[in-house]
Amino acid sequence: MKRAAALPAVFGLAITSLLLAQSPFQVTLRLPGGDRQVTIVEQPPHLFVAADELVAALGGSIVRDSRGFRMVIGSAEGAFGSDSRFGVIGENLVEMPAPALIADTRPYAPWQFFQQLLHVSGRDLRWDPVARVLEVKPLVRQAINAKVSLVDLEDLTKIVFELPAKADYTVRQEPDAFVFQFRQPLHGPFGERSYESPYVQRIVFQGDEVRVQLTSTDVAGDTYRLENPFRIVLDLRAGEGMGPSGRPQAPRPLRPIDLPGIRIIVLDPGHGGKEVGAVGANGLMEKETTLAICRRLSNLLGTTLGTRVILTRSDDSVVPLEQRTAIANQYGADLFLSIHLNASAVRDARGSETYFLSVEASDEFARRAAERENESPVSATGPVVASSDVRLILWDLAQQQYLKESSRFAELIQEEMNVITGVSGRGVKQAPFKVLVGAMMPAALVEVGFISNPNEEAKLRDEQFQNTIAQALLKAIERYKSEVDAKSGPETTAPASGF
Amino acid sequence: MIRSMASLALAILALMAACRGDERPSSNLVLANRIASREVILFFESPELLLVPETRTLELPQNEAAALSIVLRELVKGSANAAIPRLLPEDAVVRATYLLPDGTAIVDLGGPSLVDGWNTGSHGELMAIYSIVQTLAANFPAVRRVRLVLNGQPAETLAGHIRIDRSLRPMPSLVR
Repeated sequence: MKRAAALPAVFGLAITSLLLAQSPFQVTLRLPGGDRQVTIVEQPPHLFVAADELVAALGGSIVRDSRGFRMVIGSAEGAFGSDSRFGVIGENLVEMPAPALIADTRPYAPWQFFQQLLHVSGRDLRWDPVARVLEVKPLVRQAINAKVSLVDLEDLTKIVFELPAKADYTVRQEPDAFVFQFRQPLHGPFGERSYESPYVQRIVFQGDEVRVQLTSTDVAGDTYRLENPFRIVLDLRAGEGMGPSGRPQAPRPLRPIDLPGIRIIVLDPGHGGKEVGAVGANGLMEKETTLAICRRLSNLLGTTLGTRVILTRSDDSVVPLEQRTAIANQYGADLFLSIHLNASAVRDARGSETYFLSVEASDEFARRAAERENESPVSATGPVVASSDVRLILWDLAQQQYLKESSRFAELIQEEMNVITGVSGRGVKQAPFKVLVGAMMPAALVEVGFISNPNEEAKLRDEQFQNTIAQALLKAIERYKSEVDAKSGPETTAPASGF
Repeated sequence: MIRSMASLALAILALMAACRGDERPSSNLVLANRIASREVILFFESPELLLVPETRTLELPQNEAAALSIVLRELVKGSANAAIPRLLPEDAVVRATYLLPDGTAIVDLGGPSLVDGWNTGSHGELMAIYSIVQTLAANFPAVRRVRLVLNGQPAETLAGHIRIDRSLRPMPSLVR
């Protein structure tokens, strides 16, 4: 009976948290120039601040688009959507302690989101739960002690910066350097050191910046973070990953809002880290092959279509399924493609399969709730949003408004994959894939081949075949982009959002 | 000493009497204990990569809620045809099943492979999940939807692809 009680207990918890939510009320916002009032919502243990009031009090501006809310305060730019725990600050995806919410047409986000946003412009935000005051102060930046190591491997140079605690930073790619910009000064083990390394000329610590000076412009790099202890890793290789000009691409700003066309594509290499995915009889791992194919496809897309490509993971790390879609949503991607290798108990299963999200019949209640929601009156600042449970259901339905486009995208992928695998008669399928649920753009998942079939495993291991797969996927994306471009006239707008 | 031993014996007798009282079958158990032979349909994967029915005769309690787990445990054993592969990992177990009044069958799965992270592809995961959904729907008219849980807890997926955090209904496109 204890097991039977587990589900009701979860639902009970959700209901309790809703009951604990209080109506919005005002608290003091203490600014260097004097006190003001700002509206908050308390939903223990979380405290949400009215974004429009806080941003206005700090001299910034906020706009609403179909995907969420975007704000600028001085040099800091941020965005969040309702019902998502993930927001964007600058170019970084940040996780909030609770999803942002809307109450009485007003957007609210956890105060910690604004704290991180203000850190960009050298300010700090603190919540004093006893005095019940939100206070904005200049950020006191304490220097961080950093260790650095550089190792030259066979075809790779690995640089690791180890820090005593998690730190916020951005990475800037220059033609012949990688620059790590921190929010605090760094104390490195040296000011400047030269290296006899194939790709690294020197590393320079200067204030809150660390510059990795490369030996030439023909060096590509991947950077990622590791936890416990907190480390920032930069992997450098020859050639690969060059932009159309043959140089590493500098980061570009977030895309303009709601422009038609395919400008940003998110590629999702299936699995990662301890979630290895399927494993072939001869040891080929799905997580490694999907990343290799995504990297190849990313390079092809960059050089051929000139689109911005974002990978949900660029290393062997665990990325939760919900976060993969959140990355695509928060970057305002126009297309989402998850790449996997298939496995079946039927040993000689072969060929590719492409899926888009199925709408479960059990979602009938959710659909009716969404229809009711869409009939709600719309105010000048946005739709009147109903209760939290309905908003949770709406998040579940995010992909449903793009099913027609997703179906077409999946069809084109399947056609191109059938050409290279020589397997015909495989149609596009629908299934309730968790990774596709929250995608607010056309989205598909391709299973490029069966790793459980030893013949296909051998082919999938072959780099030439991985290139062939990447070429086929590129062709499918090109065809889809052409169709979208053909439909997009000057008066075309983005798909209407029900949110 | 004798008095304390006598007290202990009395306490044991009282406890035994209480236990006998608990064991008295309820009307629900009487119904559950009425066993009858019944032909059931189990779904396994064909070489065409679709689910196909296989009939089997089982001794089942007439109480449907009690029969769910017996049928599913038979499904987990695999096909009578050795050439047809198992869909769930060999160490997968059906820990318990519940039938809610609204027609939701809750299936509590367990076993080391599923709990530690099942390394299979989308197709394998899809077939395994829907062999359960299809089997329950085909044999129990009261079952309208199926919710899978893992070790008594809600889970996102069994192997990283197909969502099981909501109830599932049969998917005819997967059946030959």
